[in-house]
Amino acid sequence: MTNTPYPNRPLTVLLAALGGEGGGVLADWLVAAAQAQDLPVQSTSIPGVAQRTGATTYYIEIYPVPMAQLGGRRPIMALTPSPSNIDVMAASELVEAGRAMQNGYISERTTLVASTHRIYATVEKMQMGDGRYDAQRILDAAPQLAGKAVLFDMAAATQEAGTVISAVMFGAIIGAGTLPLTREVCEQVIKSSGKGVAGSLRGFAAGFAAAGGVLPAALPKPVLAPGALPRPDDFPAAAREIVAEGIKRLADYQDQAYVALYLKRLAGIARLDTGDGKLAAETARYLALWMSFEDLIRVADLKTRKSRFARVREEVLAKDEEPIHIIEFLKPGLDEISGMLPPGLSRRFHAWATKNGLAQKLSVGMHIKTNSVFGFTLLRLTAGTRFWRRRTARYAEEQALIERWLGAVEKAAARDLKLAYEIALTARLVKGYSDTNKRGKASFNRIFDHLVDGELKLSDSERAKAIFTAREAALADPEGRGLEKTLGQHGIKPLPPREQAIRFIKPPAARRV
Amino acid sequence: MERSFKTEVELLNLGKGDTFHGEGILAVTKALLQSGVSYVGGYQGAPISHLIDVLTDAREIMDDLGVHFEANASEAGAAAMLGASINYPIRGAVTWKSTVGTNVASDALANLASSGVTGGAVIIIGEDYGEGSSIMQERSHAFAMKSQIWLLDPRPNLPCIVNMVEKAFELSEASSTPVFVELRIRACHVHGSFEAKDNVAAKISRNALMTEPVFDYGRIVLPPSSYNQEKAKIELRWPQAVEFIKREKLNEVFEGEFADIGIILQGGMYNAVIRALQQVGLADAFGESRVPLYVMNVTYPMIPEELNAFCATRRAVLVVEEGQPNFIEEALHAILRRADIQTKLYGKDVLPMAGEYTGEIMLGGVTKFIEAVAPKGVDTAQLHQQFEALTGVKKRAAELLGAPVPNRPPGFCVGCPERPVFSAMKLLEREAGAYHVSADIGCHLFSSLPPFNIGNTVLGYGLGLASNSAIGPLFAKRSVTVMGDGGFWHNGLSSGVSNAVFNDDDGILVIMKNGYTSATGTQEIPSSPHQSQAHRVTDMGIERTLTGMGVKWMKTVNNYHVTDTFNVLKEAMTSKYNGLKVIIAEGECQLERQRRIKPINAMKLKNGERVVRTRYGVDEDTCTGDHSCIRLSGCPSLTIKDSSDPLRVDPVAHVNNGCVGCGLCGEVAHAAVLCPSFFRAEIVQNATWWDKFLAKFRASIIGLMQPA
Repeated sequence: MTNTPYPNRPLTVLLAALGGEGGGVLADWLVAAAQAQDLPVQSTSIPGVAQRTGATTYYIEIYPVPMAQLGGRRPIMALTPSPSNIDVMAASELVEAGRAMQNGYISERTTLVASTHRIYATVEKMQMGDGRYDAQRILDAAPQLAGKAVLFDMAAATQEAGTVISAVMFGAIIGAGTLPLTREVCEQVIKSSGKGVAGSLRGFAAGFAAAGGVLPAALPKPVLAPGALPRPDDFPAAAREIVAEGIKRLADYQDQAYVALYLKRLAGIARLDTGDGKLAAETARYLALWMSFEDLIRVADLKTRKSRFARVREEVLAKDEEPIHIIEFLKPGLDEISGMLPPGLSRRFHAWATKNGLAQKLSVGMHIKTNSVFGFTLLRLTAGTRFWRRRTARYAEEQALIERWLGAVEKAAARDLKLAYEIALTARLVKGYSDTNKRGKASFNRIFDHLVDGELKLSDSERAKAIFTAREAALADPEGRGLEKTLGQHGIKPLPPREQAIRFIKPPAARRV
Repeated sequence: MERSFKTEVELLNLGKGDTFHGEGILAVTKALLQSGVSYVGGYQGAPISHLIDVLTDAREIMDDLGVHFEANASEAGAAAMLGASINYPIRGAVTWKSTVGTNVASDALANLASSGVTGGAVIIIGEDYGEGSSIMQERSHAFAMKSQIWLLDPRPNLPCIVNMVEKAFELSEASSTPVFVELRIRACHVHGSFEAKDNVAAKISRNALMTEPVFDYGRIVLPPSSYNQEKAKIELRWPQAVEFIKREKLNEVFEGEFADIGIILQGGMYNAVIRALQQVGLADAFGESRVPLYVMNVTYPMIPEELNAFCATRRAVLVVEEGQPNFIEEALHAILRRADIQTKLYGKDVLPMAGEYTGEIMLGGVTKFIEAVAPKGVDTAQLHQQFEALTGVKKRAAELLGAPVPNRPPGFCVGCPERPVFSAMKLLEREAGAYHVSADIGCHLFSSLPPFNIGNTVLGYGLGLASNSAIGPLFAKRSVTVMGDGGFWHNGLSSGVSNAVFNDDDGILVIMKNGYTSATGTQEIPSSPHQSQAHRVTDMGIERTLTGMGVKWMKTVNNYHVTDTFNVLKEAMTSKYNGLKVIIAEGECQLERQRRIKPINAMKLKNGERVVRTRYGVDEDTCTGDHSCIRLSGCPSLTIKDSSDPLRVDPVAHVNNGCVGCGLCGEVAHAAVLCPSFFRAEIVQNATWWDKFLAKFRASIIGLMQPA
């Protein structure tokens, strides 16, 4: 090895992107910019050929001395990144930055340029509760691992500039100043690419500016709207805002008498909550949600509001002069229809329909155009049957379950606040419509029958833990297998597999000659 | 096709004095033309799809040179095409993804290698091993050894790759043997440059036809020719190859300061070895290494004289050989033993036996080797510390993150027509319990990932139905086979359908008819939508083919109609018909569809014509955040966001602006009776006066009844 005046290694850039985000275009831009400055450059990638979804990386090496000064010598460039050997790590999404950390690519010599927005992976999305990765960990780790961290919401910057995220990333990478590539050359590269030039230049400028000093914000958390309605003073401080929201919700849902019922139900538990008020707060939350259960009346009401029309327009990016049509996918089934009848009649109707095989037939998929006069009127008429709600079978069913739940929470609260809290949170399982709702209630009842009310000999803290574990299992695996497994640990016999409705026909074996 | 190569095609026209800047696999294509090939073929698949694609777009250049190009029906077809070089002095090249493609091609390759060749026959194999690979992890090396086909593994930079492709033809002709040129994934996609040469028009080509066939029984693989061919391989062709490789110095020696140790490596590993040496301060940026190197650009056959000469003066040598079994290392042991050379060999003891040699792995292996042999002047304790510091960041990151980040495997695209079929299958599973699904190769295999988790076995491209032939008869309920139309034409038609019909199979076959071999980059197949128009060939539709083969139960469904698809699946499951039941699930590959209609719509918008844009949405108000819609869809565009409702803690479902309006989410909400939150929005762009009038009229009436 000779002693040369040249740097002993190239600068390395690792780009992490999701398929279809233009990571390849960005790599090409960087290569072209380096070539324009006569710098030796190499890029590689491992793109799957077609699919647009998985995480992928592009790897680029640039030697910071122009070829004219190298006298025919050429640096050897690697095709794979090495740990602690990345100068610029750019990620188009926050968890991809986390993945780079996990793989050892972010070290003291790394300038991390990453977007703070999230695109959720399927495993995060599919849970019944909240399966999202705690992205704050990545934001916290970034400045501790990287020499320099440039973090901002590139998706927002992209939308503002009306371009693709790769242009914003390009600007941020160059703006961070780690690579020997100039802004002028890079902009020239964009110009000569000839496609969407104006937008890309705007995106580049936004990224460049952001890398020059804008610091990351913490992830936005939903904030409670300041309650304009009265906050009953006899509730613990922690619960007041939620109670106010509950009052608003239920007045909107039914009437003032219903609000009074809510407050009465809640009062008993609030009195028992001598702790931090969390029990009262969470009970207030789930009670309000449960009492405003989504029946046909509620859905029709929400679908026809002015605020909803405006929200849809905004969400689908319709311009002011563009008319839009809104078509609802509704499929009320036997349960929804019989749920609207009084309990006795409902039971008889349900049994009769099931016996005559009408369960399937009564469930008709409807496409209702809410912006048409007919569709709108139909939904408004349905919403208008609110006065009838208290007589419906669905109302009776929900109130009975609510009483069971509240009764258990109250009974436990007298003994052990932690246990009462866990029981209160069990209400999180009851949500959704039709089958999903049924499955949720089944899980709820399994937990109540065996862990809350059952004959198990457990201490209060053991019981609280058992309920917590069972609830989390039911949320993670809505098919119920996980729940049965945790129940099994307490010696509870798992439910037998469901009966199968379809009879499969197999040919008699003798037919085969 | 997934990508158009109209601009890259220009690169193929470069001549002497020009510099080629571009991707590795395109450089190989250019090298083929510089070598004077008469024909080129292959079967697509990552990482060599681009070679096929660029040639498809380069018809004009190929016509000028008289090169025959054929996108073959399978790798077996491509390998068989090399038969043209057996009797005639014609150069030809084919390409495929290895090892899967090499498996398919083996029959023809074995025959070709036995017959021997007159003209140079080169096979470009994309070695799909390691990160980003989608197939079983195996080496192509074994194929080279069993059939005696020479294997080149060039250093992964463009000048070396191009040179080796050109040399491969000469080697093939000098030793009458076909030659593999192996390129790993990243080498195929590497962007670099090399000095171009002029293209060479072959003496025999489509522009200069042959008239006299050659008959030589010695080329036929039948006794006694086959016995003679086996002898010729060893007594004639092998020594000729060794002689050529030595004379042309295809393998390279780089001397270094530590003359008593060395590293023997596959050419493809060169850059990674240099990087590892750089990281521990034993090489500079230009690859000048203090440790001497013997680079095997030819990994089969090995050249004992060269290896003996390299090892004889050294006390210890490291063999860097990716993958297992470690053929090279074992063979080197034998070579040194025969020559009675006592050099200590390191290899799979300091490097892992299996898996890709990434930057981190190589750094570990090289560090361990240097620590063990302790060359003069190297402080091994300091070296170890350096290694610990370099790799320590991983541990620190794990501590800071607390929990591993979620995996993000590739999956179905937004609006993919295959997803709804699996939604329907999932619904059937809910109603009827689980059933065995024999899966196949293609995008549809993503069904085995969350949220579907459908597909119990996968045995090879187009082999889904064949792999079900013992499952079906041994199960109390019917089983389902899923096959793509790519797989159908590749192998499924002969090995699967004809066998199933002949043997009276009672199974259910779902053919995903999306119109292309989508997973490899949407290349066309006989039943592609525009194929019959473009090529003016007879209708090669799947339905006609199946009817001709005697399939009696066949239904075609529109994939996006989940309820219909579900009903047809259920019907197939419960039908009294005892024979093969084929469901053709029709829906054009959404990538290709978008590529087709986007420019049309853009043009219409520009011209002021009325265009209706469709997309779907979820009503935040009525969404309760149970995510059952996601569990039945998995669409990347159907995601979650924080609820703006302060009472709800769980995130709500949300359709983002990536939505292409395929309608699956709404269909699933209907078919599974999920919830009333889904809506379709039709946005009328460039609205007509009637649209505007109607909207105004409706709004005025609705306004009278509408609450805030």
